[in-house]
Amino acid sequence: MANVIVNRVAEFLKGFPPFSYLSKEDLELIASNVEINYVEQGEQLFLKGDPAQPHFFIVKEGAIALTENRGGKEEIAEFCDQGDVFGVLALLGKRPYVLNAQASEDSLIYLIPVTVFESILEHNSRVALYFAAGFASGQVVVRQDLSQGQIARKALGNHPRDHSLLIFSDPSIIKISENVLTGSESLSIQEAAKQMSIQEVSSIVIVNDQGFPKGILTDKDLRNRVVAEGVSLNTPVGNLMSSKLIVKKSDASFSDLYLCMIRNRLHHLILTEDGTIHSPVKGIISDHDILLSMGNSPAVLIHALLNTQEVSEMKTIRDRAEQMLRYYLENEVAMDFVASVMTEINDVMISQAKIIAVKKHSKNYSDLQEIKFCFLSLGSEGREEQLLRTDQDNALIYADVPKKLEEKAKEYFLKLGTEIVEILIQCGISPCPGDMMTSNPKWVQPLSVWKEYFSEWILRPTEQALLHASIFFDFRPVAGHFSLSEQLAEHIYLEVHKKQVFLNFLAKNAYLNPAPLGFFKGFIVEKSGEHRDQFDIKSRAMMPLADLARLLTLSHGLVKINNTFKRFEKLAELEPLYSELFIQAGKAYEILMRMRALEGLHHGTNGRYIQPENLGKLQKRLLRNTFSPISELQEIVKIRFQLDYFTK
Amino acid sequence: MSWGFFKRSGRKQRHFVKEFLESSKRQIPAMRKIDQLSFVVLDTETTGLDPANDHVLSCGAVKIESQTIRVSSAKEWYLKSSKKGRETVIVHELLGTNPTIELENFGQDFLQYLGQSILVGHHLGFDLAMLQKALAPFGFSTFPNPRIDTMSLAIRLDYGLLVDRSRINLRDYSLDALCERFKIKTDDRHTAGGDAFLTAKLFLKLLKIAEKKGIENWGLLQK
Repeated sequence: MANVIVNRVAEFLKGFPPFSYLSKEDLELIASNVEINYVEQGEQLFLKGDPAQPHFFIVKEGAIALTENRGGKEEIAEFCDQGDVFGVLALLGKRPYVLNAQASEDSLIYLIPVTVFESILEHNSRVALYFAAGFASGQVVVRQDLSQGQIARKALGNHPRDHSLLIFSDPSIIKISENVLTGSESLSIQEAAKQMSIQEVSSIVIVNDQGFPKGILTDKDLRNRVVAEGVSLNTPVGNLMSSKLIVKKSDASFSDLYLCMIRNRLHHLILTEDGTIHSPVKGIISDHDILLSMGNSPAVLIHALLNTQEVSEMKTIRDRAEQMLRYYLENEVAMDFVASVMTEINDVMISQAKIIAVKKHSKNYSDLQEIKFCFLSLGSEGREEQLLRTDQDNALIYADVPKKLEEKAKEYFLKLGTEIVEILIQCGISPCPGDMMTSNPKWVQPLSVWKEYFSEWILRPTEQALLHASIFFDFRPVAGHFSLSEQLAEHIYLEVHKKQVFLNFLAKNAYLNPAPLGFFKGFIVEKSGEHRDQFDIKSRAMMPLADLARLLTLSHGLVKINNTFKRFEKLAELEPLYSELFIQAGKAYEILMRMRALEGLHHGTNGRYIQPENLGKLQKRLLRNTFSPISELQEIVKIRFQLDYFTK
Repeated sequence: MSWGFFKRSGRKQRHFVKEFLESSKRQIPAMRKIDQLSFVVLDTETTGLDPANDHVLSCGAVKIESQTIRVSSAKEWYLKSSKKGRETVIVHELLGTNPTIELENFGQDFLQYLGQSILVGHHLGFDLAMLQKALAPFGFSTFPNPRIDTMSLAIRLDYGLLVDRSRINLRDYSLDALCERFKIKTDDRHTAGGDAFLTAKLFLKLLKIAEKKGIENWGLLQK
């Protein structure tokens, strides 16, 4: 039986269509999933162009104005009061909002989750028709009085197109200019600038007499190095150009070029015949070219992230990145590209968080500013595999300090760590349930303590230690001084080398992971609890592969490769006998990542639990195929690490 | 070691009590933003106002996360009374036809539901005293969770932290008076669930006012 609170919500909803058409059970189902927000006059609920939220709205008390910016003026397109439903675009294929919503008085708003409502649309044709009629007439607001829809149609009429999903529609439309402006080192600055201005380009490539690139001079260099410094205009460009060049082969794939620019924060990328600086220049690509052809692109997002220290803005940008991710996944963009882009975005976000944290706390600890520290990402984020914002796993290393500073350093770095964690929480990355975060004093330690931790885990592989190993061994430096992380990696390599039996324990652990398929080749689903009858794709399929990849690379003495695909790629190279299997395992991992991320985006969850009966036939087969490398690899591990003779 | 020691220190802790106390040791960082805090707003209905002689009849609660009331988390528990005789008659009248729950099952459910959340209520101290007494047979003594009393919060927002309470008419800060002031419709008054729901709506409004006054994180809110 429903409780008083649910009854109270249901009673209110019942008074207004489409809820008035619902059966008692459906109404109760909706009511028990409602969320309630209080907004003050002037507060924004959403802005035009924002991605659709996973719920739509009904006004309980107060009033909401839907507005639109026309010619620099905010005009009211619709006015919603008690019982009016708005924001229903969320029901329609998740399109971004077309209007701004702002509270025009203090209001209580009920949020109706779309996922719950969708199931009702499927079996209640009356409700479905009600919405269909509303949508067909272009309504933004669903009201008791349908004639109001006419106004809404006018408001919508002028803006039929939606640009927010234009991400990467067709890479071939990105123009790589083949007519590159070039000049010799002896050219004067003034002459170079003149040439650039005539040809309307933003850079000039300096070449030697064979046409090999020697350097580049850009608009920005003219501003920073010439005008700002007051350099004579007769200075030869050779003295001022940037000579540290990153070049790529002219027929490299687009995603390769693009990633290279993102990673190195290049504004211009020079293409040469063979991809080295010892061959002639063939073309140039600028970020401007890319920006022009894209809306929500990684470069735009990273650029925006680098230019803000407002946490709320960082969150908005990260939300947009999720929209881009959905597009990539649905369009089958290669997984290593997608993962690299998302990792880069997350990393920039963390670096910004670090800068904000240091700014806030450094003034009280001026004597500690010289002490190096490094922020590490662990687990899936450490492996560069976190697509969705699942949860945080991170740690902080700082350089060993003299005894008299120990306490103070402990306090300072914990403050930094806690601040970073809190900023990331505000950006939508939930805290780690196991508290493996830099807000936990245990994981904010000087290098010497970290070395002891790892030595201890390797020396005494208890259950707890192996659990830690599966998370901490995948560490990756993200912000601060990477040399600390390298010293730690070196230490681990030596320790594992000394204590090979540790690998047997790790192997045992990897072998013990639950099998994904039952005896009759059916998926093994959870037997009880919240996720009953669902398939746990993380612990049954992805973790075993990640664990196996980590174990096998460690056994080859490789500590610096973190990523599961890259690990399998490397293994295929090192063990030609099994290369086919390793390649398959890498592919399987890619498929699993894609499935999990799509599942998560679709349901607004972390995607960990999948309902097997909801999968199509093809998807089921695909998923099942990913399991065969797991069991084959487990067999290899069993023999190689003699698990039959090895008991805990 | 004498047996008297055990008597004084209360009864043996049940597993679920121990587990709850173990898990709630973690502290909330002072700099955590209000948006990121989890609250449980609760209310109890009791046989009277004296924690020593009266007992809990029912308890209602709902969670607030990201400044949003999650109706899906709304709970009501009606307790089975161990009392016999005249009292039980009254109890049954009050409870109507709602299914009741054994005290121990309630304790398990309730503590698991609370987890590490911040507890919120109007005159919260009274509700918690009654609940502590109800759970005492399982070795429970006091709630370790941080707390916020909506009455104190409302007073603080009007007068600041250093107010002299003797100069305030506390009647202006009853749940009814505050609901009227903040235009919250008082249906279902005096059922535990209904009052918890009203208190939750009141708390949402108070939080917005608090934020406007610069109270934006846990450290400032808990003062």
